Amino acid sequence: MSQIIIQGLLLSGLYALIAVGFTLIFSIGRVLNLAYGAYLMIGGYVYYHVTQVLDMPQLVGILLAVVFGCGVGVLKYTLLVKPLKGDHVAVEISTLILAVVIQAGIVLVFNDSSKILHPIVPGVWRVGGATVTFNILTAALASWAILIGLYLFVRNTHIGRAMQAVSMDTKGAAISGVDPDRINLITWGISGGLGAIAGVFFASYTQLNPSMWVAPLIIAVAVVIVGGIGSIIGTLIVAHIIGFMEIISTTLIAAELRGVFTMLLIIGVLVMRPRGLFGREEL
Amino acid sequence: MGIRWQHLAAWAVFIIFMLALPEFVSKGTLRTIIFANFLAIFAISWDVLSGRTGYISFGHPFLIGIGAYTSAILSYRFGFPIALSIPLAVVAAMIGGTLFFLPALRIRGSYFALVTLAFMELMYQLVQVIRPDITGGTRGISGVETITRGAVNNFYLSFCLMALVAFSMWLLMKSRLGTALSAIGMNEESVRGSGLDTTKLKLAAFMIAAFVAGLGGAFYVHYLGSIAPRALFDINFLFTIIVAALIGGASTIIGPMIGAFFLTFLLEYLRPVLPGAERYFIYGGIALILYMYQPKGIYEVAKQGWGRIQAARAGAGS
Amino acid sequence: MSGILRSAAAATALLFAVPAAYADIKVGFIGSLSSDTGLSTLRGAELAIEELNAAGGVLGGQKIELIKADTGEDVTEGIKAYEYLAETEEVDFIISGSIDDVSLGWLPRMVEYQIPTLDTWTSYIGIIDKLVEDYDSYKPYFMNIASDEALATLYIDFGKDVLADKMGWKSVVILQEDTAFGGAINGLVSEALAPNAGIEVVDTIVYDVATVDFAPLFSRAVDSGADFIYLISSVNSQVVSSQYVKLQVPMGMTGVNVAALGQEYWEDTGGAGGGISTLSPVPSVGFALDPASQAFVDKYVARYGDSRPKFPHFNGFNAYHGLKQAFAAAEEAGGFNNNSWVDAMEKQDLVLEKDGQMWLRYGFWGRDEVEPRTGRTYPHNARFDITDPYDDGAPSMVVIQWYEDGTSAVVYPEKYATGEFQVPSWVKK
Repeated sequence: MSQIIIQGLLLSGLYALIAVGFTLIFSIGRVLNLAYGAYLMIGGYVYYHVTQVLDMPQLVGILLAVVFGCGVGVLKYTLLVKPLKGDHVAVEISTLILAVVIQAGIVLVFNDSSKILHPIVPGVWRVGGATVTFNILTAALASWAILIGLYLFVRNTHIGRAMQAVSMDTKGAAISGVDPDRINLITWGISGGLGAIAGVFFASYTQLNPSMWVAPLIIAVAVVIVGGIGSIIGTLIVAHIIGFMEIISTTLIAAELRGVFTMLLIIGVLVMRPRGLFGREEL
Repeated sequence: MGIRWQHLAAWAVFIIFMLALPEFVSKGTLRTIIFANFLAIFAISWDVLSGRTGYISFGHPFLIGIGAYTSAILSYRFGFPIALSIPLAVVAAMIGGTLFFLPALRIRGSYFALVTLAFMELMYQLVQVIRPDITGGTRGISGVETITRGAVNNFYLSFCLMALVAFSMWLLMKSRLGTALSAIGMNEESVRGSGLDTTKLKLAAFMIAAFVAGLGGAFYVHYLGSIAPRALFDINFLFTIIVAALIGGASTIIGPMIGAFFLTFLLEYLRPVLPGAERYFIYGGIALILYMYQPKGIYEVAKQGWGRIQAARAGAGS
Repeated sequence: MSGILRSAAAATALLFAVPAAYADIKVGFIGSLSSDTGLSTLRGAELAIEELNAAGGVLGGQKIELIKADTGEDVTEGIKAYEYLAETEEVDFIISGSIDDVSLGWLPRMVEYQIPTLDTWTSYIGIIDKLVEDYDSYKPYFMNIASDEALATLYIDFGKDVLADKMGWKSVVILQEDTAFGGAINGLVSEALAPNAGIEVVDTIVYDVATVDFAPLFSRAVDSGADFIYLISSVNSQVVSSQYVKLQVPMGMTGVNVAALGQEYWEDTGGAGGGISTLSPVPSVGFALDPASQAFVDKYVARYGDSRPKFPHFNGFNAYHGLKQAFAAAEEAGGFNNNSWVDAMEKQDLVLEKDGQMWLRYGFWGRDEVEPRTGRTYPHNARFDITDPYDDGAPSMVVIQWYEDGTSAVVYPEKYATGEFQVPSWVKK
């Protein structure tokens, strides 16, 4: 039992980190960024290249991954999202195409074999029948720290409050002197950076692979759907629902049905409660 | 929205041109056209549902896959004749379409797109888990009976199917139903306000789309001769269908056809130049740039170009 | 108007133009051009063709041209690639480095075109079964790697000789991925382990290939109280093996781990792969080579040593030797497009000796030849030998192990062993 709780908490922390960048964009622009998984992929590959090919320190790797993620986010906003003028369908389609292009680009540069990251912090800790790697523990703690930081940022800073305003009512925010364009740009940048750092941790859990962007995208989608366009706190709660459901289904029910439960949850919630469990129209 | 004789003449020219094609082009090219024909069918099906009503489906491979798997399993595992397995596959796809339709009663926009994506992913996982002895699991089924052999025969078969689907969809979309569906895409409330039953209209769109997808999927699997979950319930397959419809021109019949031919030939003609992974990169890149340049598609670009030529000529004439 | 018509006609002509290039003999390659698997086959074939051309050509001095068709490991692209080779390029012979579902995808096309085809990577017994059922349709197909069914047989021997007798292990928990491959291997292994090796299967865990976190599964495995884990993984295998290493799971793990088959495994896992052992087709990593295969490797490394894969995978060897055999058969039969090529190919028999004894053998099972131990036929499958002392051919597979210092060795069978089976240092013996 304690083992399920420990493993559930750790996995949920990772899922929350994966989903939060996606939620951010969905809340502010109401658009689905289907290339979100590509941030994770780019973050992971940059970190891999810097630390394991160029042999530079891990911190440099993480920083560069975040820089790249932010850069791609900003570029995506300026080159794709802005010219399409918030046409949701067009943004969704163009980001889907972009994700496929990025996947092809990764195959081109890194070849399509899978790669494994060194643990960010090596070592294991055996507690209550469960084995916990320091790597996963770090990922979960970092995830909590980042989420709390983000929460404080959104609540207490000028930009953060502007983001809230845009997420509630773009036109109203514009009238009261907030430049929605600038806020959107900043949000896309932050989302890219968050995605990239989530990618480093996700890849250190699993592996680097040119098609690795699909799985985290589905996790993010699941969190957004089940939670609704919710708060950061909502994301955190739903990430725990999904994380625990997964651990419980793999441990107690049937490991091969892991993904099936998540999909059924998505479909079920959408049909029963289209706005999600915590659907609130604000950040 | 009337049918003009110029339209019918254009159809006739197009069909005669295509039927004469095997006389002039190589078998390899015919093979490429066969894939383009099938993609056109899938793109038309997607367009009837998503291009018109604005309910973006990310789960179209789900419908196509149900059609393909049903027919493949019935004929390969249970020895059904193709003449029976294909109609049953279409029925199965339409039942799948009803499942698809349920969420559309309550949700729309991005949420609808996501739930259909979830349908596709669910199917991908279920095919592997449930009764792999029947579905063939991850490896799929190879050696499914084919309807005919050879590039020329298959070209005629696929083209006739495509032309039939395209022409009947064209007629249907010229009818009041098509107009109503497009109106839903523009403003569902006002359609309801004008006294039409939008639920029935949407159901019709879903059933037509599922019918075409199931039919296309069933013929597709009997052309390929093999089926695998990774080939059908896959984001890349979804990408090709949606991009074909959009890059050609959504809400038209000719648009998805142009898009399907453009994408298939683009990928195939890049092969000798870029044999490796660069090919997919360039292919995706071209699709993205084209889409960004004109989200309404090649049809719109051509129409505008034609308009400009006309205007220039009128200017020169005056 | 006529200008527009003319340019439209010109554009149409350009659109449908056939890329025409005529060589004397064309060989098609089908496989992924961006995977280690595909590239191993491609490069093996390239080197063999170079040698044949340098030696004055084939079939009366004709030169061979190699045409590449990329599948990107996509099933539909594989079908298109096969059609391209058959109908646009009109190749005489096809060599494939495709993975299971891609091969199954284009197989109906091979039946239609009847082009002689040699598969060098997939080991799926289901394809050989198709030859058993319908020989006439599938006969141009050859697979010069032992099928996965034979693989399981060797594993049972390994279980008896090493795991039971030497390590003293009595019970196993099977950790199987949820794929057709996983199911097939699990069925064969779990049925035969108890009666033949005296190892009892106490639990079977089937997992989803997209599993992110294996910690709960390893906890379940440890709780089962078994002596070791038998892993069957072909998709995303590096995830499960690296988490085994990172979690320092306190029990031994062996089995089938497709990621560990190539020399790049160590680099790709960043060292998180020590202690992993797997069945591997021959010639595997850590396999002592006969002089002819060694010469191939030297040439390969000199030529391609700068880019992945720096060292050929087993299918690179299969492609190199197999392509030469295909042309030897063509010389005997007077070309590729007739039934006599199939007969001649069936009779090809390349015995590679090391230190005066048979080391590797590239030959095929005849149509009606019954393998004595499994009691069934394997038409056009690589001729393997699953009975000690392996004097009729190479064993179907060997067991290899990656040690914690990054070296690797063959640990079973005895005749080919270059090292000993060990459990990782964190496992209490």
